[in-house]
Amino acid sequence: MATDTAPSLSEQYLLDKDGKSDVGSKPVDLSKEESAEEAPTAAIEVKTEEPAAAQESTGTTPAAAEESIETTPAASSESTEAAPASSEENNETAEEEKSGEGETSEEKPEIKLETAPADFRFPTTNQTRHCFTRYIEYHRCVAAKGEGAPECDKFAKYYRALCPGEWVERWNEQRENGTFPGPL
Amino acid sequence: MKFLEWLFLTISPCDAAEPWQLGSQDGATPMMQGIIDLHHDIFFFLILILVFVLRILVRALWHFHYQKNPIPQRIVHGTTIEILRTIFPSLIPMFIAIPSFALLYSMDEVVVDPAITIKAIGHQWYRTYEYSDYNSSDEQSLTFDSYMIPEDDLELGQSRLLEVDNRVIVPAKTHLRIIVTSADVLHSWAVPSLGVKCDAVPGRLNQISIWVQREGVFYGQCSEICGTNHAFTQAVSRKDYGSRVSNQLIPQTEEA
Repeated sequence: MATDTAPSLSEQYLLDKDGKSDVGSKPVDLSKEESAEEAPTAAIEVKTEEPAAAQESTGTTPAAAEESIETTPAASSESTEAAPASSEENNETAEEEKSGEGETSEEKPEIKLETAPADFRFPTTNQTRHCFTRYIEYHRCVAAKGEGAPECDKFAKYYRALCPGEWVERWNEQRENGTFPGPL
Repeated sequence: MKFLEWLFLTISPCDAAEPWQLGSQDGATPMMQGIIDLHHDIFFFLILILVFVLRILVRALWHFHYQKNPIPQRIVHGTTIEILRTIFPSLIPMFIAIPSFALLYSMDEVVVDPAITIKAIGHQWYRTYEYSDYNSSDEQSLTFDSYMIPEDDLELGQSRLLEVDNRVIVPAKTHLRIIVTSADVLHSWAVPSLGVKCDAVPGRLNQISIWVQREGVFYGQCSEICGTNHAFTQAVSRKDYGSRVSNQLIPQTEEA
């Protein structure tokens, strides 16, 4: 897909709105981190932007902060091949940070606004097959690449964003019982 | 004091329906602004036509009188006027159709990649909302039920049949994808000031894209007859969406 390498349209849009809404500022910075090759400068950017929170996080749990700095260069180097996968990793590291920090992370949003992109196979209001296709794509990807392959994480993210939890549970059960009605 | 409370607290919800309301609620999305503009544009021509037709009608009734005009005119044929009154009225709907279709198709266009997906699942009689963009497994997602507050529990200033216990929180000025579906019968997710009405069909996912322009509390109700307690939802748009959601997510990640 074309959206894999370039920032998605919503991200581009958020770049313009950067100054006005603090919702937009966070994901934009993360996308900058991905695009920029030097991770240290990116880390400095984050610190300068919200110094109090950053200092707190380094003060309480230096291990978590170091972890994030260490993981970002790896992700940015990977981002040339597969941007969604690296962003997925970034998200995971962010979540790890959160669970590690606990009380400090409550003060500033640590969330990247990102969801399944618009898919031009499904340009209509009816998105039922979009969800189903993404679910199948994920499980075919896992079948091909093996469990926990980083390439498949984006499909997991997409189907989780699109499908109701109830449906996913039902399909998981059906797969276990071997009654899933789709090409896996 | 009591009077002031009554005056301000009853008027304050600007994005809810008010008593004896004639027009639409204030629009909060480009979609709703488009709808309101189209309505006003069409209404201008509608009133012109209304005045013209009423004039003809009243004039005809006025002059058709046994004393003033004992012998009525007996015109049964007029080619020119027949052509005119056939062609012209058929052109008017065509001119109305142009902006109308433009708006209609722009409303369900999937133009940009959304930043957030929110799933609204209809039940009898509540809504379940799922925010699952931040999941790392199938189980943990930010899910909550939104029930309407019953009439007896309402506090002063809250709107009857509109207030809910858990509001949906969305960020302003962000492209949102709302996936609407149902778990039992037909419902419809509708918020008038957002210009949104989407049927919730069991087994089908309907998508609507919205872009909320300002912060506020936006009220809506189920728009499909779905049973006795057929009223539902409310959406709130806020700037601090990120911190809200991460605050909600942290307890979950700690539990998991």
